[in-house]
Amino acid sequence: MKRIRKIIAAAAALTLAVSLLAASVGCGPSAPPDASETQTGVSSPVPAPSASTTTGGGESAATPDGDTTAAKTEVTIGFTSIPSNYDPLTTGGHGSYMSLIYSTLVALDSDVNVVPDLAEAWEVSDDTLTYTFRLRTDARFSDGEPVKASDVVFSFNTMMTAEGAEIDLNAIDSVSADGDTVTIKLKQPRSTFILDVAGIGIAPEHLYSDDFGQNPIGSGPYKLAQYDVDQQFILEANELYYGKAPQIKRAVFIMMSDEDTQLIAAKSGQVDITLTSATLAATNTIDGYNLLVEKTVDNMGIVMPVIPAGSGTSALGNPMGNDVTSDVNLRKAIAYAIDREKLCRDALNGYATPAYSENDGMPWWNPESVIETDVEYARKLLDDAGWTDTDGDGIREKNGLKASVPVYYFAGDTARQATAMGAANQVLENIGVELVVTGLGEEDVMKIMVSQPMVLAWGSANPITSYYLYHSSSVGKDDWYDPESFGSPVVDGYLDAALNATSLEEAIPYWQKAQWDGTTGTSMRGECPYIFLVNKDHLYWRRDGLNTGEQMIHAHGAAWTLVANLKDWYWES
Amino acid sequence: MNRRLSAAITAGVILAVILAIYIGGTFLPESALRADFSQKGLPPSASHIFGTDFLGRDMFTRTVKGLSISLVIGAAASVISAFIALAVGVTAAMGRGWVDHAVNWFIDVFMSVPHTVLIILISVALARGVKGMLVGVAVTHWVGLARIIRGEVMQIRGRQYIAASRRFGKSPLWIARKHILPHMVPQFFVGLILLFPHAIMHESGLTFLGFGLPPEQPAIGIILSESMKYISGGAVWLAFFPGLSLVVLVLLIDKLGNTIRYLLEPREAQL
Repeated sequence: MKRIRKIIAAAAALTLAVSLLAASVGCGPSAPPDASETQTGVSSPVPAPSASTTTGGGESAATPDGDTTAAKTEVTIGFTSIPSNYDPLTTGGHGSYMSLIYSTLVALDSDVNVVPDLAEAWEVSDDTLTYTFRLRTDARFSDGEPVKASDVVFSFNTMMTAEGAEIDLNAIDSVSADGDTVTIKLKQPRSTFILDVAGIGIAPEHLYSDDFGQNPIGSGPYKLAQYDVDQQFILEANELYYGKAPQIKRAVFIMMSDEDTQLIAAKSGQVDITLTSATLAATNTIDGYNLLVEKTVDNMGIVMPVIPAGSGTSALGNPMGNDVTSDVNLRKAIAYAIDREKLCRDALNGYATPAYSENDGMPWWNPESVIETDVEYARKLLDDAGWTDTDGDGIREKNGLKASVPVYYFAGDTARQATAMGAANQVLENIGVELVVTGLGEEDVMKIMVSQPMVLAWGSANPITSYYLYHSSSVGKDDWYDPESFGSPVVDGYLDAALNATSLEEAIPYWQKAQWDGTTGTSMRGECPYIFLVNKDHLYWRRDGLNTGEQMIHAHGAAWTLVANLKDWYWES
Repeated sequence: MNRRLSAAITAGVILAVILAIYIGGTFLPESALRADFSQKGLPPSASHIFGTDFLGRDMFTRTVKGLSISLVIGAAASVISAFIALAVGVTAAMGRGWVDHAVNWFIDVFMSVPHTVLIILISVALARGVKGMLVGVAVTHWVGLARIIRGEVMQIRGRQYIAASRRFGKSPLWIARKHILPHMVPQFFVGLILLFPHAIMHESGLTFLGFGLPPEQPAIGIILSESMKYISGGAVWLAFFPGLSLVVLVLLIDKLGNTIRYLLEPREAQL
């Protein structure tokens, strides 16, 4: 009897173990199937593209069979973002479907140069307040109607008043059309304006309505053929596109947000290209696939409140400031104590490069923001500022205040976690300052980020990011741009000068001085509100034979930056 | 060695293991869970018997820490739950007929709702976290024990000494306190201990699904859901050993409950 019980117990243990691994809760039958599916990924098979044929109006989706027949013109992409709204005037901006479905007046090439798109030429008046764009006459929306100057005027005017638009068009005074030219008058010079224009998709006035976002029509290289909520969207080449006809005629974007789902999808040949993480990239190889490594300005850093605790509350009533991180010497000591090359190797398996600012390598970056690791200097900074380890626990104190702060990251973001933990190890070992790396849900982050350090990531092809990050006008707003409450009259001066400069080129020295002017600035040599750590490479499993063209240096976010040049992709024969 | 002694030794050993996990996990220094990138992603070996994760943290240490959190939450939830059961059970049995009917009806309704769903709802409504988890498990798990206690009380109620007390004019409350509750002690303790593994499984399961403890807690459910990212890459040890440890702990507590029942009521219980 006893033996039988033991066998039963062992069998039960095994069953339990297995069922536990298969994502069951204590009481199996009542486990919610939805929840287990979304959370585990393992138990949720990738939505097969063919499953959509029922909803696709008879259109068959891409075949995931991986046949490499001659002249393949389709691509299946494991993607992390399926928009529910494709209206260019109320959503989007840079880094979205904009360059795929819509035309913009001007575009950016792979070297971040402004090049013609819908406008074949443009002029800027001497006072830089008037932009005149001459439109090409052969552009048509995918419904066959020509793209007229009035559509451009309509799009700009709509976007200026739309809620939720991501591009700030407050500088615009008026937009008017005359034949094939569009004239935009500005209230004040704005050096980044042409970059803003590059992010504004032109919508057809004759079709625009409240549900345009679900039935988008544009004049870009692709048109939206199908869209299934949270599952997939399919783009097909727009035959009426005025530019070079794309070789990829059909692109299926399938939602897969988990790293493991992406890996399995690639291993089973269901996708031609998909995102992956530094850990999985280093520990896996997939037959028939190569690892695409794209350099980025997608920087990760620890943002530190620069004002002491008790400095009031933010707009949403969250207490601002931190007594430890408000000491600039402590912030700089942390910045100098970190060996970033080592951090790239340790935390991200080498799939990263050291980061020194929010825009390393961009034309408006100041190379003087680069700092060398200097532990001795870091220790001296702390010693001089009165931070010493008096109780021998390996962590410095000053007037009873311990040099120990939490560093929060979005729970589940393994890259941020690893990077922060790697930095924390070095900082503790080298200078006796403790960073306690802690994961937090996004909803909780908002409440504490104005008073505690946290890991954030930036990186864009527009220098206005620096303005939003560091200008004092944004202090106290509960947005991602300004949790550190940094503001300095000197830096404000440079930022204002940069934004009000007459051209991108003229603004560059000001953007650079804002980072470091020889005595102060926003970089780690200066006031150091951010401890920049690494620029994380964007990593993808790519099927052999797929050529993804020449990509612009990737901005923050690995999904849209990959496909921005989809029209240049092709299958090598 | 007689069976009673061996049962006592079994109970002692299990208690010692549980205590060791609790103490080991609770008093673990912060530094033991720091990343060590020179040791990342190692399969189980002599120096890391459960292997290491992709931050180089020892999985055995993480597992012990996670289990100790589960123990605390499980203990708190089952104690609360058991007290609810005691109160409800005794009230039903000692009250008038309609009270008993009402309570029974309520228990039936409660049992008809799948309690995992109920826990998720309660936990989410209370903003998840330790509080949501505790309340969720505590208020859904008293029903079974309440039934048992009600049955026991009904039995005792019919005894002669109760009738005698009543004739002496003692109040129902007095009778309940002096004559009935002392008899409930074995059922109460055994029921409490048997609730314990259930509570732990719910805590881990719901946390795994993302409805339980917040992700910054080094809980076992978090460890398991994290590990799912790497299983497809072949790192099965990240899930297998923590999962197995959880199952073993649950079975140990179950065994403890049955052993204690045997010690308390040797005639009714079997080992």
